[in-house]
Formats: sequence, structure tokens, C-alpha cells
Amino acid sequence: MQAGSALVLAAALPARALERPRGTVVLTVSGRVRMPNDGADAHFDMAMIAALPQTSFSTHTPWYAKARRFTGPLLRDVLGAAGAQGTLIRLTALNDYKVDMPYDDPQRHDVIVARLLDDQPMAVRDKGPLFVIYPFDARPELRGAVYYSRSAWQLRTIDVL
Amino acid sequence: MAAADDRRALTPAPRLRFSWLGLVGFGLALALLAVALVQARQFALLRQAVQTGDDYVVPMVYQAETEQLLLREQWRRAVDDRVPLDEAALRLRYEIWVSRVELLRGASTLRLIASHSGYQQTLQQIEDFIQTADRALGPTPVVALERGFLGALLPDLEALTSPMHELSLGASHKVAAQMEERAAAVRQQNLLGVGLTVFLSLLTLAFAFTALRQVRQLRERRVVLEELAANLRIARREAEAASEAKSAFLANMSHEIRTPFHGLMGMLSLLRETALTPRQIDYLRTATESADHLLAILNDILDMSQLESGRVALAMAPVDLRALLREVEALMRPQAAAKPLALHIDADAAVPERIVADATRLKQIIFNLLSNAIKFTDRGAVVLDVRTREGGAGEREIVFEVTDTGVGMDEATLAQLFKRFVQGDNSRSRRHGGTGLGLEISRSLARLMGGDILARSRPGEGSCFTFRMPLRLPEVPAPGAATKVPAGAPQALHLQVLVAEDHPVNRQYMAALLETLGHEAHFSVNGEDAVQALQKRRYDVVLMDLHMPVLDGVQATQAIRALPDASLATVPIVALTADAFAETRERCLLAGMNDFLSKPVSPQKLAATLRRLFGTGAPAAVPDVLPPRQGVRGNGHALVDESAIATALQAMSREKLASLVQAFLDQAPETVQRLRAAVRDAQPLELRTNAHAAKGAALNLGMAGLAATAEALHEGAAYLPAHEVARLVQRYENQLPATREAMIELGVLQRTMQPAVTG
Repeated sequence: MQAGSALVLAAALPARALERPRGTVVLTVSGRVRMPNDGADAHFDMAMIAALPQTSFSTHTPWYAKARRFTGPLLRDVLGAAGAQGTLIRLTALNDYKVDMPYDDPQRHDVIVARLLDDQPMAVRDKGPLFVIYPFDARPELRGAVYYSRSAWQLRTIDVL
Repeated sequence: MAAADDRRALTPAPRLRFSWLGLVGFGLALALLAVALVQARQFALLRQAVQTGDDYVVPMVYQAETEQLLLREQWRRAVDDRVPLDEAALRLRYEIWVSRVELLRGASTLRLIASHSGYQQTLQQIEDFIQTADRALGPTPVVALERGFLGALLPDLEALTSPMHELSLGASHKVAAQMEERAAAVRQQNLLGVGLTVFLSLLTLAFAFTALRQVRQLRERRVVLEELAANLRIARREAEAASEAKSAFLANMSHEIRTPFHGLMGMLSLLRETALTPRQIDYLRTATESADHLLAILNDILDMSQLESGRVALAMAPVDLRALLREVEALMRPQAAAKPLALHIDADAAVPERIVADATRLKQIIFNLLSNAIKFTDRGAVVLDVRTREGGAGEREIVFEVTDTGVGMDEATLAQLFKRFVQGDNSRSRRHGGTGLGLEISRSLARLMGGDILARSRPGEGSCFTFRMPLRLPEVPAPGAATKVPAGAPQALHLQVLVAEDHPVNRQYMAALLETLGHEAHFSVNGEDAVQALQKRRYDVVLMDLHMPVLDGVQATQAIRALPDASLATVPIVALTADAFAETRERCLLAGMNDFLSKPVSPQKLAATLRRLFGTGAPAAVPDVLPPRQGVRGNGHALVDESAIATALQAMSREKLASLVQAFLDQAPETVQRLRAAVRDAQPLELRTNAHAAKGAALNLGMAGLAATAEALHEGAAYLPAHEVARLVQRYENQLPATREAMIELGVLQRTMQPAVTG
């Protein structure tokens, strides 16, 4: 239900042309993208990502000893901004780490593309600049290897299949 | 035998079985708890694995190693001066590598591989490398990025390859070991679970078995109980049958005892006719009294047995209560005066004139209470108080309270009072006689009427017996004139009557009776004889005794009803019997009899029965009942009433009167016999009727003495003790010669006329 209504909502958004990035491109959304801004792909710089509605939450992760606060747009908003529509999302990290995520996942869960860790931008060595994070603490069923593996850090590309 | 089996089957130790069930149940609960614990433990184990994410460490370390190799390649390319230095690519690779090796310091990694030899050393090595490399590649470079700097650091980077591979392998092995450990734990848990399941199954089986056994035992016990109930039912039926048999036996016995009594009493009265010395007369009187007393006891027992078997039905009818009380007073006064005692009978003004009651039974109770009071009181007074009051259930009651100033009773005696054969005082009972059944009969009758009798007393302070019953008033005031009992008047009917009767005395009695009624009597001595006689000539009616040899009354009736000739088979048959049980009557009617006469048969009853069968024919002549005349001659010489004789002589010739008086006196011994028979057979109604008939005739013929005695008999028939009644009959008999003398004196009779010999 929730997923369905979110889908309808996303589809109902006015198809506004995506502006071209002015800074360094940090994220590329490729594949079934209806609003590309560079060839067939949608490119985002950090300013464009920061301009999307932001979500913040603290959660424990396997990568930090304590709960940390993550901030960034919802993944579904990022996909919406690119006019992406598909059945599967393939996430690729800077080190070519690849993982597939069902298209439903960002609709069902408040998955964010974190750009701030404890309100600070993340360097690559700090697993930045973009970090896909599930709200692990809010939803206990997410605490498992499947969702940990889908939490790609050093996110570079989102391929919509 | 059966009872012992039942008992054993009914009393297994129920506590033992309960504890078995409890034990199994407890075990079951325990096993379930253990299962819950195992499951909780499994859950905790899984949760721990998920939370720590130990599995995740292996790819993490592996990733770090991969990045190490990638960085080494990039670094080598950067040092190679044949290709241009790609600074950005190197920086990115370096940054990624740093991010990866940072993870090795993470909490979960630390926990898993901290124990690995060389871990700390490797970390330190990495730390040192980063510190050095950051001088050019870090966020705040202090030296320029140039090939010389990179080339100097390359050996250090290459030196990290081997320890990081070691670390990767170590983590792999560690996790593998851990997984193995966890698998073992899970296996163990599973084994435990299986064990518990087996245990649980066994317990469940045991539980089911125990429950099954208990159900079976319950079923068995139910069967035993049903058998027991069936046995009890049979036993009850047998007991009831025995009681029935006893009742029948009692009825038979009373009949059997009464028959020889006929003989005995007859002989005694014949004996009295012979010349006797005064001493012999005295003996004779004692013998007669003893016989009367014996009959009274027999009657009490019969009364009791009928009450017990519920055969007594109350004949409820409007009763003139005050007249009834006057009767009682008249009867009791002589007894009280003899002691001497004062007797007061007092009815409250509010007590209604007429009530609905069984007059006979009501008088029986009052009479019993009063005669008891008189019996046990030597001086002072006996008081009967009658009043009405509100009963317990809101209905009005009538209360008869008999108070005396006699010896009284203690509590123990009071408690025993209404019990069978118990009298107030054993020493007294010998003196006063009686069966001890009187009070029990009275109480049973009182309860039958919906009331009760209560007694209270103290030794030396007299007693008080309270008899209460619901007060019922007649709906319509009955006409004041009481129905006169018709005397045995000759009927216009002249019937041919066949009497089947084995007893000669009864045959003679019936002959006289039928003759009196103007019918012709013929006799058969048993049932078979009767059936044959019936086929020889025509009779209008058959009077059939029930107890006969060869063929009894019922069988004979069935034989007659089965005759082929319809005119013979439909002859009216009337049963004659001494037992008055309702069943006997039913049995007779079922056998095909038309009516039922209980012995002794009075002319009135017989006449009434015949009238029912054949119609009136002519109206029955009801003799005049003249009021007692006052003008009795002389100083209390009350044997004859001259004015009544004068009146009679106006209606008929002297000869006719003489013949009637002669006939009356000739019949008198028979009357006496009939009266005695009535006393013997405990038929107070018959006694009353006979006495009434005698009284009516005696009054008409001016024989006032005989009439007075007959009246006393008439009134006291039901209530006086048997010996008192017998005394009255005796007095009646004694008055006969004197009356004859008086009639001769008056010139009504001739001295030459001799008494006719009677059978």
C-alpha cells in the first residue's frame, strides 16, 4: 500500500527537466532514466544532492562502534529527480563494489543517500562522499547481511534496470 | 457376592490415580518449559550472530586486501616514469584503500581477529605507512607529490601485501571456526530439541494412556452403578411385592380369623341360652369380652395395614360439626363419669356449624384422643376445645385440643408416643389394654386429611393433644333434614335369587335376609355348584361369595360369563366378600360381576343393590320413626312405652301387633347375632344400620328399652371400644326376656306364645 501510493506520487510529479551539474559530478544515474541531463544519464553534483529534501537519522551500523548520525536525501527522491523507473537498482561504488537492490526497497524503506556524517561532509577515506544507509535502528528486520550489503558506501553510480 | 464385587469396584484409591495424572501433567509442563528455553536460546544465538555481523568481517578484510593490491598497482604505475603520473587516480585509490583499512580497526573486526598473531603489528605497519603517505596524499599535504617520494614509499607498501593476506586468511579461518562452532551449538540445540520432542511425545502418550484408563474405569464404574441401581430396583420391586403379599395375607387372615369367630360367637350366644349358674354366666361374659377385645385388636391392625398401603380413602361430605360433637359427648360422658372425671366439650363461637370432612374418621380421631385422655386420667377433668385459626400456609384450620389432668409424660415417652405398639407407660398399658396403634392410626388419618396431631406434656401435669386439619366449608348449605336410613322393608319385587356361599351360617343369614326382603333364596355351596344350578333353572340374580372351595367366586363368574346361552351368561352377579379392599372390588368387576357387597350384608344394602339392578318396582316402605315418648310409665320403668303401643293399636289390630311383636322378639336373637357379627367384622356402619333398624322397629312397637339400647349402639358403633359395644349388644340381649314379660303384662302378648326356634 505504502509502496504503491509512493509510486503513484512519484509518477505524478511534474516532469521538470533536470538541470546540468555545475560542480564535480559525484553521482550518475543511468539506465531507465526519463530525465537525463547528460546524454542518457542523469548527473548530480553535491549541490544538486544537497538541494533535494534532506532526511536525518542516527543508527548503529556494522562499520562504526557507536550510532552515527547520517544526513542526505531519500534515495527515492534522487531516483524521482532523475525520472528513473525500473524493477532493479544496481549500485556501484568507487572501488567497483556492485550490489543489486530491488526497485521496491527505496519505496518501502526510508533509504537515504547520506552526504553528511555527524553533519560533516565525508571524505572518500571516511566512506564518502555518498553513503547509502538504511534506517537500521528504526526497523529491526533490516539488521541483516542482505541490507548491510545493499548499504553501498563511496557510491558512484546508480544503474536503473 | 454381588454387593462385595460392587464395593470393591467402587472403591479404588482415587488419590493414587490423581497423583499419576498430576505427575504426568507436571512432566509435560516441565518439558514444554524446556522446549521454550531451548527455543529462546536458539533465538538468542541467531540474534547474536546477526548483531555482531561477524560474517561480514571476512569480505571486509578481503576487500581491504583487494584495495591493497589495486593501490599497489596504481602506485607502481605512478612510479614508472614511462607513463604520465595520474595524480587524481592515485589519490582516489589511496583514499579508498585508507577507508578500507580503517575498517580493520573497527569494533567487530577487532573482536574477531584481535587474537590473530601479527594483527597489531600489521595495523601499526599500515598506520605508519598512512602517516608517511599523508604528507603528500593526505587532506593537508606538506610535501609535493612527486615520483621520488612515491618511489621511496613503494617498498613499504609492497611490504604490507603479505601481512594483509595473512590477516585475510586468518579472518576466514576464524569465521569458519566460528561458524563451525555455531553449527555445533545449533546441532546440539537441535539434538536437545529432538530429545525434548521425544520426551514430550512419550509424556503425551502416557497422559493419553492414563486418561484413557481413567475413562475406561469410569465406564466400568458406571456399569457397576447401573447394575447396582438395577439390583436396587429389583429389590424394591420385590419388597413392594412382599408388602402387597403381606396386605393380601392380612386381608385373608382377617377373613380366616373371622370365620371361626362366627362359630365361637355363635356358640357363646347359644351357650347363653342354656341354663347356666351365675358363675358360668360370669365366665361367659369374660369370654365374650375377651373375644371382643381380640376383634378390636384385629380391627386396629387391619386399619393400620390399610392406612399403610394407602388404601384408605376419605369420604368427604358436609358434616354438622356441633351435632357430631354432641354425639361424641354423649358417648364419652359415661366413660368419664365412671372414673369420675369432668368432661367439657367446648366449641368456639367462630367454629362453623357445618364443615366438609369424613365424619367417621373425624369422630374416630376425636374419640381416640378423648378415650386416651380418660384412660390415663384418674381425677380432674378432660377438656375438648374446638376452635379455628390461621394455618401456616395462610388457610384456615380447625383445631381440636384435648387437655387432661392426668399422669402426663416425660420427653422420652413423648418421643415414642406415635411409634407403633408403644404406649405411654408400659405398666399402664397392661392395665388399660389396647394395641398401641390408636394414636398412630389417628395421626395417619390426620395427615391423610392434610393435618396432624401434636402432643405436649410434662410428668404429673397432664397432657395436651392438638389435632388440626384444614378447615373446608360446604359450598352450598345442605338442607337441614338428614337422610333417613331406610329400614329393611319388604319389597314389591319378588326375585329368584341364587346364593353361592360355602358357610352354613352365612347361608342362613342370607336366607333370612332375602326372605325379609320378600325374595326367594336358593343355595349353592361352591362356585361349580352355582354354575350347574344356573344351567338347571332360571334365576334373576346370583349373589356370589368370593372365597369358596372348588371354584371361587371370580372363577365361577368367568365360567358363567363364558356360557354359550346368552340369557344365562348375562345374569346379574353380585359379589359377597368380607374384605373391603379396593382391588378386590376391581377384580370382581373385571371378572364380569355387576356389583359388590361387603359382608356382613345388611338388608338395606342388599335391597339397595337389588333396586339398582331391577328398579324400585314399588316404593320402599319407610317405617315411621317416632320421637321418643316422654310419658313412659312409672318410675323410670322404660322398657315399654304404653303411649306408643296405644298409637300402634290405633293403626292395627291387637292380633296384628301381637304377631309383629312376636316376630320382632323371635327375630331378636338373630338381630343380636347380626349385631355381634357387625362388631366382629369391625363394620361400625353395619352395626349402626342394624341398630338403627332395630331401634326403628322397637320404637314403632313401643319397646322403648330396646330402642334406647339400639340407639346407644347406633351412636357408639364407630367410636366405642369393642368391649363397650359388645356390652351394649349384651344389654340388648338381656332386655329381650324382660321386654317380653312387660308386653305380656300389658296384655299385648299372650303368655302361651312360645319363642320360635331360630337357626
